[in-house]
This record gives sequence, structure tokens and C-alpha cells, in this order.
Amino acid sequence: MSRFLDKLFARFNIYREPGYYGKYDYKWTIVIDLDKCDGCEACVIACHAENNLPIVGEEECSKNRAFNWIRIERYVEGEYPDVRVKFIPILCQQCGKARCEVGCPTYATYHNQDGLNVQVYNRCIGTFTCATYCPYDVRHFNWFSYKWEAPLEQQLNPDVTVREKGVMEKCTFCIQRIRAGKDHAKDEGREVTDGDIQPACVQTCPTGAMTFGDLNDPESRVSQLAKSERRYRLFEDLNTDPSVIYLKRVMKQT
Amino acid sequence: MRKFFLFSFIWVATFISGYWINTSWFSDKQPAQPIAFSHRIHAGENGIPCLYCHIYAERSTAAGVPGVQKCIGCHQIIKRDAPEISKVADYWERKKPIPWIKVHNLPDFVYFSHKRHIRAGIDCNSCHGNVAGMDVITRVSSLKMGWCIDCHMSHNVKNGRDCWTCHK
Amino acid sequence: MLKRRDFLKALGLGGVGTGLGFMLGESIKTPATNLIPYVVPPEDIVPGVANWYSSLCTQCNAGCGIIVRVLEGRAKKIEGNPHHPVNQGRLCAMGQAGLQALYNPDRIKTPLIRKGSRQSEEFRAITWEEALSVLAENLMKLKIASNTEKLFLLSSVIRGHMGHLFETFMQNFGSPNYIQYDLFQHKELIFANKVSMGINILPHYDIGNTNLLLSFGADFLNTWLSPVNHSLGYGHMRQGRHGSRGRLVQIEPRLSLSGANADEWIPVRPGTEGILALGLAYTIIEEGYYKGQDINEWNKILSPYKPEIISELTNTDNERIRTLAREFASARPGLAIAGENAASYTDGVNHIIAVNILNHLADNIGKTGGVISNPEAPIKKTQSLKDIDALLRNARAGEVETLITYNTNPVFTLPHNSKIQEALENIPFVVSLSCFMDETTAHADLILPTHTSLEDWGDDISEPATGYNTATIMQPAVSPLYDSRNAGDILLSTAKRLGNRLQKNMPWDNFRDFFIESWKTIYEKQRHTYAGEPVFEDFWNKVLTQGGWWDQEKRTHQSIHFIKDNVKRFISSSPSLFQGNEDEFPFYLILYAHSGYYDGRHANLPWLQEMPDPMTSVVWGTWIEINPQTAGKMGIREGDLLLVESPYGKLHVPAYLYPGIRPDTVSIPIGQGHKTYGRYAGNRGSNPLDLLPGISRHETGTIPLNSTRVKITKSSEKGNLVKMEGITKEFDRQIVQTIPPYERRQN
Repeated sequence: MSRFLDKLFARFNIYREPGYYGKYDYKWTIVIDLDKCDGCEACVIACHAENNLPIVGEEECSKNRAFNWIRIERYVEGEYPDVRVKFIPILCQQCGKARCEVGCPTYATYHNQDGLNVQVYNRCIGTFTCATYCPYDVRHFNWFSYKWEAPLEQQLNPDVTVREKGVMEKCTFCIQRIRAGKDHAKDEGREVTDGDIQPACVQTCPTGAMTFGDLNDPESRVSQLAKSERRYRLFEDLNTDPSVIYLKRVMKQT
Repeated sequence: MRKFFLFSFIWVATFISGYWINTSWFSDKQPAQPIAFSHRIHAGENGIPCLYCHIYAERSTAAGVPGVQKCIGCHQIIKRDAPEISKVADYWERKKPIPWIKVHNLPDFVYFSHKRHIRAGIDCNSCHGNVAGMDVITRVSSLKMGWCIDCHMSHNVKNGRDCWTCHK
Repeated sequence: MLKRRDFLKALGLGGVGTGLGFMLGESIKTPATNLIPYVVPPEDIVPGVANWYSSLCTQCNAGCGIIVRVLEGRAKKIEGNPHHPVNQGRLCAMGQAGLQALYNPDRIKTPLIRKGSRQSEEFRAITWEEALSVLAENLMKLKIASNTEKLFLLSSVIRGHMGHLFETFMQNFGSPNYIQYDLFQHKELIFANKVSMGINILPHYDIGNTNLLLSFGADFLNTWLSPVNHSLGYGHMRQGRHGSRGRLVQIEPRLSLSGANADEWIPVRPGTEGILALGLAYTIIEEGYYKGQDINEWNKILSPYKPEIISELTNTDNERIRTLAREFASARPGLAIAGENAASYTDGVNHIIAVNILNHLADNIGKTGGVISNPEAPIKKTQSLKDIDALLRNARAGEVETLITYNTNPVFTLPHNSKIQEALENIPFVVSLSCFMDETTAHADLILPTHTSLEDWGDDISEPATGYNTATIMQPAVSPLYDSRNAGDILLSTAKRLGNRLQKNMPWDNFRDFFIESWKTIYEKQRHTYAGEPVFEDFWNKVLTQGGWWDQEKRTHQSIHFIKDNVKRFISSSPSLFQGNEDEFPFYLILYAHSGYYDGRHANLPWLQEMPDPMTSVVWGTWIEINPQTAGKMGIREGDLLLVESPYGKLHVPAYLYPGIRPDTVSIPIGQGHKTYGRYAGNRGSNPLDLLPGISRHETGTIPLNSTRVKITKSSEKGNLVKMEGITKEFDRQIVQTIPPYERRQN
């Protein structure tokens, strides 16, 4: 009996290992240089524009239900006049060993060949397991089917689904742009080159703090940046294997 | 007990037959269009290629339906006074588009790129059926996800089974 | 055998079963949709494939270039124009939100005329024909009565050809009263630069290449001057150069967003930034860093600003002043900038001139990484002929018969103590050319809706440019949504109706013709520089495709001469004046532009209302920032509704405990407190401008924002403060990790 179970589990365990179809085609990574990030929140608005994020209004904001797929967290230390302020943009880390993928009872979130954590809105039944498991608190729930007051809905991006009540959503590294970039490269009969594809936040960042690219490609800009001595990942000791690499801020230590 | 089985049988049988009646005689596979345009005459008899009218199919995700200008292009001369064609002329005079009923309708959360499929060499008929033989356009494929996946698997499409290939 | 009852039951069951089966079949069908084709398919649109149009962002006055993604005639996304020298493909939050101005539900869709009194804000829709004849009639009356100087035209700051058209119109009509007014016009900076360095155009502050940036109250990353360009420079200064990392020291009483990124914050006493700058300048002289011939004269001028003397006044340690001065002088290059906060004191010009002196003595002027002059723009910059003060004075005296406003909202951006509303009451006929029903438009008699910038033609000179000529072209990305018109078109059709000189000198049918003709003239004059573009049409296509015209070859060689004699009278050892005596009004009030609403113009864009404020994370409201120690002493907790009173007005605002502010200072962001302005902005928050006195400076005619003291009383209510942050302490979670600076560390 136990041999039978082992064989059965072995068949399923391979789906838990990242890149189970073999090597990852791409390993999309964002490198965020915290020494350049100035907390301006241009990325937040760009994400709203690109991904059809709804406006929830003042009351829902007070319940912390605003949709910010990327948010700037601000940490303040010290008292006047020795005040130290630190900013960090936090978005879905697209973890290699994602806890949300493990917890979802309907397999609505899983890991794909590009190294991204995929959220399938159709399968989601809104159990909140993924949001509870996520240590970065990046998952947002659609408490209502939000409406856009006419004619604001003319601005909605047709490449991104408008989510209904009851599903979880989160940053997708602008999968629609990745798909469009690969489509474009295929039309021209070439591989995707570094810098072809940029998520909305990376493209708009005024200081140039964010860089997006394929970590599998040794020539790409993110691979170069990832070698930095300042690199770290958020909550690394939780073993989530995130795809977002931060570069430490240069700051006088207290 | 016997009554219970009898009633259950009647319930199930009539339920299934109700559903069958719906799909056979009230199906939306072949809706009535505002103008009785016949693909058999145009694509079949006259051999007009698909991409002559559905111009965006090779360049874009959507294939598009020809504008009234495309119809009038030929029909300002050809059989101008036939009853259906004079409807086209009427729409052209009034500068109003023809309100076709969509037969192949995918939900909003699906990303389907005509361009990609055509450039992969897939023939229009494999999904749309023998259009050149249809007098009224009929939906022959289920267009359900299982049907898409079957084709992706049998053709070994790269990342064909990945949810995010088709879900936006 | 079946009983009859059972037979009937079976029949019923069968019927229900069939019915339900049928319903199941119906329910899983997707509802029938139409497939609507084009009548005549447009040649340049492929459904599903985007077109990108280059244009100009008008959300603030920097003049960045944008590209707009348009799908089937609808604008979907705005990105920075990668070719534009000012923003190089990047864009700030306000720029991204420009889409919501185009598709805003509260846009004015047709011309409106007032019915009822000015206070009632009731309007009825009329046709353009009617509206234009009402306007023409009114102006004709002025002409006939020879009262043409009683026409005032008030617009926002417009540097491009639209401004020329306005000027030409006013000139030919016979009125010298063309006024440009915005809350943030940088007039103090322009004036100070003219006086001290003899330059008319704002210079390029080369942040990207500097080694030590001293920012005197400049929120340069967020709202000052050209935030995207400064941010690009900032990123480059920090981590863009191998082997060197620039440092930033922020000198301001309230920690702004730029200050939060600084290596050091010096919380100087409000109104003493200029004195501190002079103290640094003195140290540079005294310790021998300045190598100029006139060192003795400078020594004499600056000796009252010895660090030991000014330390108490500026509330800064004198040893720190000395070390900072040494660091600044040895930075080579360093750069000192004076921002909106410093410019907003009553004697703001003095502070900026002090900072210019500091730059001069540290030898930063004209150097890479310092202050680089810009050439004269290819388009003659339209100037405001008068100040807003002139409008107020003349209106009060009954000398204004007609006022036409375009794109500006003085009823909101002027403190109500300036009596702008009373002034408007005294003007018999007010016309507003505007997209939205803002406060000024609500007081108008005739409202003519204009295009938003995504539907319009125009151009702009980027100010400041990046060392070479930059002109950006604005072209329509989408067709106009409503029955609005270009403001230039409105004036041109009015000119035709007025006949005579106006019609003769303004023969163009519409603004676009005038615009292209003007560009043809520019092209003809500069033709020798366009070796590759022998024909205007090719030049114009190139300019439209790339979004503007910039000539990197035309870097200016204009040198800046510091004019010592001019600056002497602006050197002052008294701190800036704040109204209200210290006993009754214990707190300095500092006002600042909000990163989303700017001067209040974007409060009607819901994305920006829901964007958490970078320093406090508050959304959808106004707040007052108060030091936690001060709040503790007064028993104020976060969210408490406070009554803030100045000698001129009072407000109720909820409190936010902010450690980045001096204990004797409080701060309120500008932007909310609109009475009208749509569903998102109306009746939300408070307008701190109403706390200000209505006195303007005589050099620039602008109203100083940091010019009053206030007193705070705790009310018994809880205010409505919605903030998005949780706890702002890290507690060893190692979220934002840091590494100590090391001078020669790479990357």
C-alpha cells in the first residue's frame, strides 16, 4: 500500500518542483536598486493604468482594501531630528517556492515555465488561503465587482481581464507585455532581446531604480546587477526563492 | 420503492430531453443574421479567399468582419437589385454598419490571437469548419477550453498547456 | 398500474424536468453579442494593434514628452517618450494619471451659459453659435465704447504658440492685460537668477553629475521644477557612475520626499535658509576655498554671516556649518539648489540669491554637475504682461469689464483673503475656457469647453531644458470626445466676428493652421541646421514622430556672469517675516505641493486621490503634520480633528504625527478643499491657502506660501484620516537592508 502511495505522490511531487517541464524557458526577474528608489509612487499609478485596477473609494481604503499591486512601504526610524526614512517597493515576488501555490485548494495559482507565479481568475473561488500564506502580503481580493464611472472604462486595457467579485489578484509582472514581447519577437523571427519587455512599473520609474529581464541570460542587465555585493532578497530566510532582487540602500549605520 | 425509481427515471429522462431539445432546436450555433449573406456563394462558388474580407486576421488578435465598404466595392454593380444586396446598399447609403450576430464568441478573459494561429499554418477551416459550404454560418467547434487544449496538446505547442498562454 | 394521482404527479415532474433541462441549456449559452464592423475601415487603425502618438504632458509645468498608446481610437496608456531629452522615456505619477483627465466623468460637454445668480451655479447648455455670438457681442461693445483695455485675459503659464496667439489677439484688440497665473510659476527663481546671473531662461541643474547636492527646501524629486529629469539625474548621481556616489544634504524645516532620501537632513529654522547659505558661503571665503580676485570684498559682505553668529538664528550647529561648507567647496562639482519651500517665504528671492552666491563662490556655475545655462528657446517664450495683482486691483476699482480665463483656477489657488471672489463679483462678464467645473468656472457667466491635452494641438518649451534647445509638440492622440474646441480656435473665430484689424491680422481659420505656419517660420529661420530635411513637410513629419524638436548640437556657449553688485541689496540678515505674533500663534506654517494634486488641479483624478501620499500614506483627504513630541505635550493623537487658526482664517484638519518636522512647525499639503470640481474632488478635505494673508510680493506679484504663523486647538472630534500604512517600524525584520557608505565602493 505504501509503495503505491509513494508512486502516486511521486507523480504529483514533480509538479511542486519549479521548472518541472525541464529548464525554465525564461526566469523573469526584477532588480530594484533601493539606493535609487525615492518613493515617488509613479510605479503605483502606472500599474493602475496598465492592469485595470479599480478605484475602491475612501471607505474601502479605510478597510485597507485598496488595490495596489505594487506599493511603496515606508519605514521610519529615529526621533526628531535624527529621522531616517527608508522606502521599498513591494510587489508580488513571483516566488520560486511559493507558499500560495502550495495552499490553493483549486490549483488556481501555480508556477509556469517563465518562472512566474500564475493566477488563474477562473479557477479561483476566493478561499483566501493564498493571501494568508503570502509573507509579503501582495494578494488582493475583489470584494465587489467594481464599476468604472463612464467614460473612465474607455481607458481599460483590453489585454488584461477585468476581474469580478470573488477572485484574488496580484502583480503578474505585466504578463500581457511579456506575451506581446514574445509575440513581436516571433513575428520578426528572433529571440526576445534584453530590454524588449518592460512591465509598466519598470518602464515609468523616473530614477531608473527598477530593471527587468531574464536571469537565465548571462548577458542581460539583471544578471549583471544580480552579481552586486549589495544584493539581497526579501525574507530570504523563509526560503520562498523570490524573483525580485533588491540592492541594499547605502546609508550611514546608526 | 418502485414509484421512486419510476419518478427518478421520469425526472432524469425529461431533464435530459429538455436539454436536448434546447441544443437541437434552440441552439445559438446558427443565429439568424440581419442580411442572408452566404459564404457558400462568395467563398465557395466564387472562390474569394478568407483574408480578402477578414483583413486583420493575419496582423492582429482579432480577425474582424469586413466593413460595409468592402461589400459595396463589388455589389454597387453586381446584382445591385437583389433583395438582400439592396439591404447592403441601404446600410451604405445611411452610413450605418451592419449589426451582425457574433457566432464565434470567446469570453473576455480569453486571449486568442488569430495572427499567431494563422502564422503557425493552421487553416481557417480547422476551427471554423467548411465555411465555403455554409449558406448560413454555423459554429461547428465547441470553442470550449478542452477543445483548445486538445489541439494544443496534439500539435505539441510550446507552453500550450500553460494557463497564461490563453487566459489574460 | 398507475393511479391517476401518480400519473398527474409524473406528468408534472416530467414538465418541470423538461423545463429545467431547457433552462440549463439556456443558462450555459453566452448571451448573443453583436459584431459591428466599420462602415469605412480607417487606414491607420488595425483593431487589436496599438498606435503610438508622441505628445506633450501638461500635468505640471516641466514639459516632459510622452507617447500615448491608442487602441481603436481610445487612449489606453501614457508612457514617457524615450527620445525626449528631459524625461528620456520616464514619467511621474501625475503624468500617468493624465488619462483620467481625458475620460473624466465630470468634463464639461457643451457650451454653457449661466441662468440665475453667480452663487447658484446653475447653467444651461447652448450651441457654439450662440455662445460665440454672446462673446463677440460683449467684446464688440467694449470696442465701440473704446474700452478695450477693460478686457483681461488670464491663462495658466503657457510658453508655446498658444501664448503667442493670445498675445496677438490682445494686442490687436487693444488691451495690454494678458496675465499668466499659476500657483507654482517659479517667478522668484526666474527673478533671482536674472538679478544674480543675468539669465532669462532657467538653467539646467545638473544633478546627475554632481558630487554633493545641497537642497535648500527643494522637493526636486517630487514637485519642484522638472521632477522626472531631476529623478533621472538623482538615480545617475547615486548609482550611475562607477566609483562615485553623490551625496544629498537636505536643508528644510519639514522633511519632504526628497529629504527622506537624503544622507543628512538639517532642520533649519523656517525663514533662515538664505542665512545658512550665506554662512556656508562665508566659510568658503574664510577658509580659502574661493580663488577669485574679489575675495576681500566678499569677505566684507559676508562677515555678518560667520557660522558662530548665525548658528543660534538658524538653529544649526556651527561646527556642522563649517564642515558642510568644506565638503561643499571640495566636492568639485557640488550643486546647491533653492526650491519651492525656500522661494515661498515673503523674501523668497533673498534665499534663492543667497544660494546662487553659494554656488558662485564654490565655483559651480557653468560647470558639469553644477548650474549649466540653457540657450534661448527656438520659440519665443510668451511672457505674462502683468501680474495677477493687476487683475485684483483693477477689478476692485471697477476697471475690468470682461475677463476671459483659460486653464487656470485663481478662485482656488489664491487665498480667499486676496478677495478674488469679491473681485470677480465686480466684473460684469466672466468667460471661462475650461474642461472642468472648477471654482473659477463655476463663477463664470459663459463657459466654453476646451480640449484636454490628449485631444489638442500645441507646443511647449521645456523649462528648464537640459543644456540645449528643446521644444515639444502636442498632437491629438484621440478625437475630441465631446463638443469642445481648441482655445485658439475660439479666439480666432471671435476675431473674425469682431472684424477690422483683428480679422486682418489674424487670418488663420483655426489654431492648427496658425501653429503649423509658425513652425514653418521657425524652420525657415533655422534651415541651415537641417541638412537632412530640405523640405518643411519632412521636417514636420520627423518632429511629429519624435514628439518635438531638440538640437543637441546647439548647446549654449553662453556663459553666466555673476553680478555681484546686483546681489548686494538682497543679502539680508533677518529671517523671513511670518505674520502673527509668536505668543498667540506659536507654530510656523509650511505649505507644500502635494505629489498627486500638485496645486489642486489633479484632485479630480481618482487614481491620484487613491495614491497614498509618499510621506504619510494618507488617501482621499487633507491632514496636518505635527511633530510627535509637540503632539504629546498637547495631548494630540493621530486622527484628532484640530482647529488651525491663522490671523486670516481657520480650518479643521485631522492630525498626523510626523517625526520629520520641527517641533515649532506644522505643515499642510495643498490640493484638497475644493468646493466644486466634480465628484472626486468636491467637498473633500480643506484648502490651507485660506490661512494665508492676501499680500503679494512686489518683485514678482506672487503670494508667498510660507508667510504666516498659526495656533492649534484640539477639538473634541475625531477627524477622518484614512491612511494605508501599518506600522512604520521594521523591528529587525530586515525589510529595507542598508549598507554603509564607502567612498570608493563600486556599484
